[in-house]
Amino acid sequence: MTMFMGLMPSFPVEARVYTDQSERRVSVPDNPQRLVALAPSITEIIFALGQEARLQGVTQFSDYPAAARSLPKIGSYIHLDLERIMALRPDLCIGIKDGNPKYAVDRLTELGIPVYVVDPRNLAGLMQSIREIGELLGASDQAQRLVADMQRRLDQIKALVTKHPDRPKVFLQIGISPIVSAGSNTFLDELISRAGGQNLAAGAEAYPRFSKEQVLALQPEIIIITSMTRGGAFEQIKAEWSQWPHLPAAQNQRIFVVDSDIFDRPSPRMIKALEVLFGLIHPELRSQLP
Amino acid sequence: MNLHQPPLLRRLVSISVLLTLLLLVSAVLGLGLGSAPPQLVESLGVLFGQADPQSMTATIIWRLRLPRVLLAALVGATLSLGGLVFQALLRNPLAEPYILGVSGGSAVGAILGILLGLAPFPGVALLAFVGSMATLLLVLILAAGRAASQKGSLLLAGVMVNAFCSAVIMFFISITQDARLHNIIYWLMGDLSQASPDRLALLLYLLPPCIVLIFLLARPLNLLALGEEVAMYMGINVKTVSYMLLVITSLMVSAIVCQSGLVGFVGLVIPHLLRLLLGPDHRLLIPACVLGGGSYLVLCDLLSRLLPSQGEMPVGVITAIIGAPLFILLLQRGRG
Repeated sequence: MTMFMGLMPSFPVEARVYTDQSERRVSVPDNPQRLVALAPSITEIIFALGQEARLQGVTQFSDYPAAARSLPKIGSYIHLDLERIMALRPDLCIGIKDGNPKYAVDRLTELGIPVYVVDPRNLAGLMQSIREIGELLGASDQAQRLVADMQRRLDQIKALVTKHPDRPKVFLQIGISPIVSAGSNTFLDELISRAGGQNLAAGAEAYPRFSKEQVLALQPEIIIITSMTRGGAFEQIKAEWSQWPHLPAAQNQRIFVVDSDIFDRPSPRMIKALEVLFGLIHPELRSQLP
Repeated sequence: MNLHQPPLLRRLVSISVLLTLLLLVSAVLGLGLGSAPPQLVESLGVLFGQADPQSMTATIIWRLRLPRVLLAALVGATLSLGGLVFQALLRNPLAEPYILGVSGGSAVGAILGILLGLAPFPGVALLAFVGSMATLLLVLILAAGRAASQKGSLLLAGVMVNAFCSAVIMFFISITQDARLHNIIYWLMGDLSQASPDRLALLLYLLPPCIVLIFLLARPLNLLALGEEVAMYMGINVKTVSYMLLVITSLMVSAIVCQSGLVGFVGLVIPHLLRLLLGPDHRLLIPACVLGGGSYLVLCDLLSRLLPSQGEMPVGVITAIIGAPLFILLLQRGRG
């Protein structure tokens, strides 16, 4: 993050010009007090930094932590309601590049609202984004502590995985119809490999589609389904996969459903997702986690 | 049969004044209400200059709601006028403004633009416009050389080209896998949420001259609606006038579709409703469709912003939910 001090004398409050992660130059007031988070992951980061008192608005599905639910809603992250955002008079909006439509970000900027866009592509990028948001909010110390804790938990799993050469074949299923998985260069791929598994969908395509027979041919030892609707729908998919006796994951009864929120959102809870995944892929090592 | 005949002129003036008032009231409601807190009373203060022009309420009204209300009015006016012209020209009550392949062509163009990751404006809008112009040309070529039943072959060519475009659209949707799917579906439903001043400029230059031109052709349109032979005996150059009307109208519809997506039913409901109220004279119906259609879509857009407790829904959902039952009712009434 490059920074230029005092370049914007016309601003009533002291402001600094930052270059955000989408290469836009954004003038951010010192110590902004009225924040709007343009994605659930940003809401989670602001709460994790202990800065929720400044948060004036969040997106429709910002449901974590529970306190976020009672904040004013500004549409979904794909369809931002610009009118509601303006009415909250934010002095800073924080958005994500992969999700918020560019035209909405541009419109807000035109209307005089600074929008700082982050673009985390992996866990290292996520930790960098947390540090940058911490700096924007004058909460660098909290950000350092949060990132250090995430790093410590990453290192613990890394140490256990490195000692253990076994890499079970994992098929991660995001969608039900069509069947969609996650290729290389995605958070999900990184989580699987860090948790000591082998991602069967690794490849150039970010979110490749599969037919049932392709999945069977890959012979996954573990099938993990990220699901927003738990219960009935999952039992059905599990039953469908279980009817194939030659499917290793069905033989070993290793078909699991996980909470998609912690896997889909680039927020501090992604470390929790990694720990869950590690527990499912290497149950024999789980007890060694402190 | 001329415009200076007192009863017609008087009716024209009174209907225009009445519908202009309706449009103004709709616009004030559209500007005064929305998803954000500034409610009608506070908004009226801003509209009539009683509030600080730098305030947030003023910014919301002038810079977010005004472009949207203007776009809704232009889209509603063009679609109603388009429906009116095509229904008269093709002598088919089911003719809608997209009938000559405009909807399919622009949708294929827009979806290509969305899949290529272009900006909604000008990228996606430009491709949508090119798409609808290309299908229009294709339909005209397919229908040419069949002078015997020119109207029938135009309709047929339009329907078939639209059907082929639907196939292409289904193919695109089936291979799309991420958030762009959401954009495509909103586009197909018709959505005004991306209105902005720079998009309006073009429409404000293009549409008024086209509307005037169509109004000047109101009398030939009256005769054409009675039948081509009648028109020919009355000294109308049927082929030239028909093609002029077809091309001008499709051009207008293409220009608005590429901004709004496919807003349905406006072009069916408004002309039928007004024809039922005002009679068959296009000299009255043309201004009435422009003003009435504009008011109707401004009000529908307002509903699409107010009804959902979270965010907003595409305006095409509202026009379809209101439009389909209303259309059935109008057809029943018309038959009785």
